[in-house]
Amino acid sequence: MTSAPADPFAVLGLPARPDLTDEQVRAAWRQVATATHPDRPDGGDPARYAAASAAYAMLRTPWGRSEAYADLAAAPPLTGRVIPAAPAIRHRRSPWRAAALIPARIWHGRPYRLAVRIVAAAALAIVAVHTGAGTPAVAGLITGIGVWLVLTVRGDLAPPPGR
Amino acid sequence: MWWYLRARLVLWLLRVTGRVLRWAVLAAVLIAASPVTIVAGVGFAGAWLRGWPPARLRRAACWALPMTGVYLAGRALQARTWLALALAPVRDWQQAWHQVSAGRVVTAFALTAPVAVPAGLFAAAGLWAWRIYAIENGLAGKTATAPVGFDVRQWRRASRAARGRVAAPGTFPLATPSGQVVMGATIRAVGHRWRPVLAVPYTAMSRHQVIIGATGVGKTNLMMRSWAGWFAAALAAHYRHGAARPLLIVLDCKGGPDARTKAARTRVLLHAAGAGRVAVWPDEATVSLWGLPPAELAVTLFQLIETGTGEAAYYADVTQAVLTLAVTAPHGPPADGAAFLGRLEPGWLDAAYAGDASRLAAVAAARRSLGDVSLRYRTLLSRLGPGLDGPGALPGADAWYCILEGTREQSVAEAQAMALTELVAHAATSRDGEPRAILLACDDYSAVSGRVPLWQLYERGRSLGVGVQVSAQSWQGLGRDDDERRRIAATADGGIWLMRTPYPQPVSELAGTRKVIETATKVLGGVWGDEGSSRVQHAWTADPGIARRLVTGQAGYIHAGGCTWVQIARPKPSPLPIPPLPEPVLIPSAPEPARPPAAVPAAPAGALDDLFGPGDRS
Repeated sequence: MTSAPADPFAVLGLPARPDLTDEQVRAAWRQVATATHPDRPDGGDPARYAAASAAYAMLRTPWGRSEAYADLAAAPPLTGRVIPAAPAIRHRRSPWRAAALIPARIWHGRPYRLAVRIVAAAALAIVAVHTGAGTPAVAGLITGIGVWLVLTVRGDLAPPPGR
Repeated sequence: MWWYLRARLVLWLLRVTGRVLRWAVLAAVLIAASPVTIVAGVGFAGAWLRGWPPARLRRAACWALPMTGVYLAGRALQARTWLALALAPVRDWQQAWHQVSAGRVVTAFALTAPVAVPAGLFAAAGLWAWRIYAIENGLAGKTATAPVGFDVRQWRRASRAARGRVAAPGTFPLATPSGQVVMGATIRAVGHRWRPVLAVPYTAMSRHQVIIGATGVGKTNLMMRSWAGWFAAALAAHYRHGAARPLLIVLDCKGGPDARTKAARTRVLLHAAGAGRVAVWPDEATVSLWGLPPAELAVTLFQLIETGTGEAAYYADVTQAVLTLAVTAPHGPPADGAAFLGRLEPGWLDAAYAGDASRLAAVAAARRSLGDVSLRYRTLLSRLGPGLDGPGALPGADAWYCILEGTREQSVAEAQAMALTELVAHAATSRDGEPRAILLACDDYSAVSGRVPLWQLYERGRSLGVGVQVSAQSWQGLGRDDDERRRIAATADGGIWLMRTPYPQPVSELAGTRKVIETATKVLGGVWGDEGSSRVQHAWTADPGIARRLVTGQAGYIHAGGCTWVQIARPKPSPLPIPPLPEPVLIPSAPEPARPPAAVPAAPAGALDDLFGPGDRS
């Protein structure tokens, strides 16, 4: 009996996501099994095949994937006495982390619409600068354009993780 | 005679002149303040075309104020006196006219925009509010039907605008950072403060909510969004403020293939909201009824079977006595269904109560009925299936999606619903484990409400501190009679979601009325005259006419004497993965003994077929 691998997703070369489909898991398993099966002329890789078999047995159903994902997220102890990490760290709102997520949120949101907005805002700002209306008015206009951009851009970003 | 005609002519001329002068002065003011006029006109037209309320324009005006602030700050740096600063906008306005005369219209607008934009938007908000007031009260409009036409038109435009807004992914996450569940884009708010996005505090979801809507009106989307949003917000509260960890239990009481699809969608959403284990019962996971405390287990088992009244009450008493003997035996409660059935044998009971004369006497008295009781429970447990026979417990997962085949096997589903609600009650009151914030959501509960009426479930939930969310396809689906339905709807302190339904009046009555001014205009000789009267009237807060006309995805949220009509945003999981918990601090202990090398296991059932089956050998 082979013990369950610590990260069955990694064994099959899959991202640790609970929303994988049956087809994705099966395709990954076939790929690993074809390359490592002990019946191969070169003898395969029995250890890796065993791990992949155990991982596939875990991940082949949605419930199994849900379980495996939950186990990974909960970071189960290996050996010894474990002092659990403060869970608050997981959801602490950090401006740096929020900023680091922005590229991914743009990519998974509506990037083309966002680009149009930014181009429009930039064009308006350039026009405002070139009107020669004087510094205070132009600064005010650019502030207004910036506020509009900040308020409307949020809708084009993908929601942050966990929300 | 001539004198009279001349006087009339002079009076007419004076009136016309006065009117012309008034219009001329107004035109002069509008032209003089043309930047404000242009912005106000654009804002007014935008509100008219998009069905915005005046509040939308006021919000826009407020957000434009930083522009004015920066402009005034810049002028303050240049001006040497307060007077110069106060007159700076006037000077810029004069300067703008010079620019216009020189043909530089854009420069002229740029000079005045920092003041003209917020001022124009505030003016547009005021004018638009006046227009709505005048139309609604019959003070404006060319025909007597103008208020009706105006209302229908503005609803249509507001709906269209809301449908466009819900397409923006970032505007409608499942929950806000402040712990509110985002539901959708506001179409119209009556008695509530207007906000572009309707977000309900997650604590409201933890109380009782009712959802009423016919099939195919988007009820599933609304419920899924509320579940996932509640979970995300409650989980965030758990991590940030140490609130109880959420536990969502969904009872899909209709069952069928649709339920499986909904379960899969719900699972994806809940995972994205931070849920770890999402169990689908009974397809993938089971719970153990036998984990209930013995006394509760005996009562639950007794309630699971039909017991009659009258002469049958005797047999009911015998059954209850036998169950109590079998379940509360000194050996502890049975571990599973087979163990329980094994206890309904005279020999087992005699052995279990050996030395207890009174209990043995009870066993002897019940001996004749033991076979019947055993047969009934054998039949019941086989019909209930393995879903309640363990292993597993509700607190073992973050969310449960329980599929009850209420349409196909109503009596079985009713018994399962009863058993599951008992397990929920136990999870809510158990002191053994971690306290959990529980939301019990029952979709189409009327399909299984035969044993546990909805009002009973509600009141039980209230006493246990469990939030209960119930959906029904119609007002009639909420309960057996009007009294029961009103009891359920009136105690929904988390709010009522009203979707398209053919009979919304009772819900509208619960939402109450609001005071409006009704203006009646006299018709003289077939002509709509200018004489009339106004009086205070009461109008529906949640207009049943609107509820009947709602299209798919639209709903009314009735709460605290107001109603917000909203376009529900289709729930979508965030595509970004949740960061894992930080690594726990590990204090090393004795090293584990080296494990023997793993043997090559047998491939999982069907796996080799997948790999080497027909057509796959290439």
